[in-house]
Amino acid sequence: MLKVVRIALVVTYLFLLVAWPVSLVAVNTFDGGPQALLDVLADPDIQAALRLTVVAAVAAVLINTVFGVGMSMLLVRHEFRGKRVLSALIDLPLSVSPIVVGLALVLVYGGRDGWFGPWLESAGFQIIFSTPGIVMATAFVALPLVIREVVPVLDEIGVEQEVAARSLGANGWQTFRRITLPGIKWAIVYGVVLSLARSLGEFGAVKVVSGNVLGETRTATLVVEEKYLNFAQQEAYAVAFLLAMVSVVCIVVVALIRPRHDGSEKKGARA
Amino acid sequence: MSIEIKGVTKRFGDFVALDDVNVSIPTGQLTALLGPSGGGKSTLLRVIAGLETADTGHIEIEGVDATRLSPQKRNVGFVFQHYAAFKHMTVAKNVAFGLEIRKRPKDEITDRVHELLQLVHLEQFAHRLPAQLSGGQRQRMALARALAVEPSVLLLDEPFGALDAKVRKELRDWLRRLHDEVHVTTVFVTHDQEEALEVSDEIVVINEGRVEQVGTPDQLYDEPANDFVMSFLGEVTALDGVAIRPHDIEVSTAPLQDRALEGTVARVLRIGFEVRLTVLTLDGEEVHVQLTRTYAHSLGVREGSTVWLTAAAGATTRPVPVAVPA
Repeated sequence: MLKVVRIALVVTYLFLLVAWPVSLVAVNTFDGGPQALLDVLADPDIQAALRLTVVAAVAAVLINTVFGVGMSMLLVRHEFRGKRVLSALIDLPLSVSPIVVGLALVLVYGGRDGWFGPWLESAGFQIIFSTPGIVMATAFVALPLVIREVVPVLDEIGVEQEVAARSLGANGWQTFRRITLPGIKWAIVYGVVLSLARSLGEFGAVKVVSGNVLGETRTATLVVEEKYLNFAQQEAYAVAFLLAMVSVVCIVVVALIRPRHDGSEKKGARA
Repeated sequence: MSIEIKGVTKRFGDFVALDDVNVSIPTGQLTALLGPSGGGKSTLLRVIAGLETADTGHIEIEGVDATRLSPQKRNVGFVFQHYAAFKHMTVAKNVAFGLEIRKRPKDEITDRVHELLQLVHLEQFAHRLPAQLSGGQRQRMALARALAVEPSVLLLDEPFGALDAKVRKELRDWLRRLHDEVHVTTVFVTHDQEEALEVSDEIVVINEGRVEQVGTPDQLYDEPANDFVMSFLGEVTALDGVAIRPHDIEVSTAPLQDRALEGTVARVLRIGFEVRLTVLTLDGEEVHVQLTRTYAHSLGVREGSTVWLTAAAGATTRPVPVAVPA
């Protein structure tokens, strides 16, 4: 009985908070048939925005994957002073409001009166109000996701297999590629998918650093806001639907390809 | 001499794991590093493999100074207590690992892997994953993997420690026979004196970071260098002021010899073929005696019987009495 009540509670909660609102986005998108979606896809400005979102998200995910795996190795496999401080710092992007992240980046890289920006600008690199700034803001907010997936798995698989590989003659890189990487593969895939979903949907930080120039630095999430504020609800819903779909597809794909029993160590452990 | 260990000291913080250890390990033999947990034997093995670096001292392997060599350059095979199987690779791939790293030709690798899997009786499991093997099979796979690279020495760290008693015993016999076939210099760590006595050609007893004695199993058992070695290799009791093994005490129901000590049987404990007596002598000394079941029967000893105890001729004794194990 208690179990039924609990399940009902969870389902109601999820329905009211997640499923119903998100499904309404889809319902509103297809209010007048698929035409709204097709119109949106045909609009060159929106095409540019979608393209920019994909480019920024992919770039941010690539950076965070390489950096995240390296960072995870550092945190799990090495002892050094300040390790706990570093570990806590990595969670910072999750707790700080993205809009603060955006402002902080402007303070450092702003072309006119940023700390570092004017020098970069004189060297020919524009960061703020340009794609690099958008990539940086996106990478910042999604930074901990790969690390938080990989660190516990690295911890769990331990160093024994790596030490065995070293004793069999493998160098550091061979050990990483042949032993460590296959062990953390699914954690990386999961972290990448989470990062991708998070990066595609980033709004606050990007809004501050992008300058929101139509067709140039306006990303898909900014398009949604713009359209919504300008009473073009149908288009806003259509773009929002696209964004939501990509995230749903990401999660579904991972759920499908992830092996059901990874680490089936207990099976057949009979001597 | 295959491995020369000279003046090796290793500290972990304040803890001295190895204290000026000097040992020579002979070529082609099966040597056991025997000692209690935390005595430094695993640390010594890891120092030989290069998995730990000694604070001071030198390691020579086959005449080459290996002190500063990284583990992958020492050409040693290492077998871990918990197998360290590569979980995502098949048994065959696990065994092939070292050869693939060394970029040997494909055909050669296939042949060698096949040969090794035959040697460890796992040829029908070549395409299984380690998770589908039993503990004993996994350890044999780990052994084949270590042997694949033709190491100059094979190091095993408590190789049977994680296995149940029966499999342990089987693998022990099997390791001995395998060694007689391949003759690679082998060093294995164990805290089990029976395992060391049964399998090895030579035993190095290590305690509190120091080498207590080096010798053949018989030498160690018959002529222990000190009380520690004597009590670690087998049970010890005290009889008439000397330390002696309980099975080296002769029991009679009549005072046949002048020097026999009279006592009363306080307790009789039967374990399989063996009967353990606790005898209280007239001086109040508590003596432990081991007899076979049949002999105890023929004597007819039971609790309360009066018996006379003498040390058997040729028994290993030490003058200083040691703490009698309960």
